[in-house]
Amino acid sequence: MNKELEHSFVELLEKNQNIIHKVCRLYTNSYDAHNDLFQEITIQLWRAYPKFRGDSKFSTWMYRVGLNTAITLYRKSKRNITTQDFDGVEFKIKAEDYDDTEEQQLKLLYKAIHKLNDIEKALVFLYLEDKDYKEISETLGISQVNARVKMNRVKTKLKTLLNP
Amino acid sequence: MDELDLLKKDWNKKQPDGKTLSSKDIYPMLHKKSSSIVKILFYISVAELVFWILINSIPFVYSKSYKDKLEHIYQNDNLFIGLTIFSYAVIILFIYLLYKSQKTISVTDSAKKLMESILRTRKIVKYYVLYNLVMAGVSLIIGFYYSFTHDPEAVSMLENLSNNRLLLLVLVLIFITSAFIVIIWLFYKLIYGLLLRRLNKNYKELKKLEA
Repeated sequence: MNKELEHSFVELLEKNQNIIHKVCRLYTNSYDAHNDLFQEITIQLWRAYPKFRGDSKFSTWMYRVGLNTAITLYRKSKRNITTQDFDGVEFKIKAEDYDDTEEQQLKLLYKAIHKLNDIEKALVFLYLEDKDYKEISETLGISQVNARVKMNRVKTKLKTLLNP
Repeated sequence: MDELDLLKKDWNKKQPDGKTLSSKDIYPMLHKKSSSIVKILFYISVAELVFWILINSIPFVYSKSYKDKLEHIYQNDNLFIGLTIFSYAVIILFIYLLYKSQKTISVTDSAKKLMESILRTRKIVKYYVLYNLVMAGVSLIIGFYYSFTHDPEAVSMLENLSNNRLLLLVLVLIFITSAFIVIIWLFYKLIYGLLLRRLNKNYKELKKLEA
């Protein structure tokens, strides 16, 4: 691979890295696991990059590769198995926004999301990223109708998890 | 939904705390090795190809007496050559199918399609192993049969056996053959079961959505 390609890739990745961090945040529950998944997604993106034609946005392309890696390709490495359950520490909101009930609610929400299965997490992720049903259906490989139905089910499930 | 709106607000506001990487952090990542299941699946496939090729070839290379015996058993040279050509043709066919199937695995496909390509690759390896197990079983049985009809030592041993003992011998041989096959099959199940547990679970989940 030539240097120019590498350079342009790293530049794009650096600018859009938040997408990968968000995927990692949903699918892992420790610092090590986060870094591990980030690394794997970066490798997969880099390998696929020569085929990236630029006819879709780099970020859109990243969503797909990132989720595919998290859902399908990624193997949890051994050191992550013993980590503690997610406790919401990473998601503390900043002091200026501090609102006790809101913070509490968010903490519970993130906890509930971590109880969802991989596919449900993917749906929540795409919902949070404001993707339309067309893109959701194309990313997961299901029909738009089914994406919609499932999304509603996930929302209901989250509600149930929050108010048992 | 109120909770989700709140979540969305928080989600979009949030920056990765203290995790923002610079290009200096990213460069070395490009040259690290992937540990994805596709890669491991590929290594396992290659290992299985090599394993079965070795299993089939080692006796020829190392044991002259085995070779002589085989030549004795397959007195019909054409049959022996035919079988050898057939088994190598099958190996080449599997390598070709495996290569083609690996090529179709693309991380930029939809999740479902990606899972399907990986499962297809796994299926090809499965058929390859199945083929080898069947061949191993068949050649063991043929081997036993020929020994007991052609090998003078074995034939004279058989003549001295009572019917009960003969039955026992047959049962033992069947037991050994099936134990061999079952052990390999279980080992195989274990490897793929562990490797593809997550993929299978998620694929089932996606299929369930389409049902």
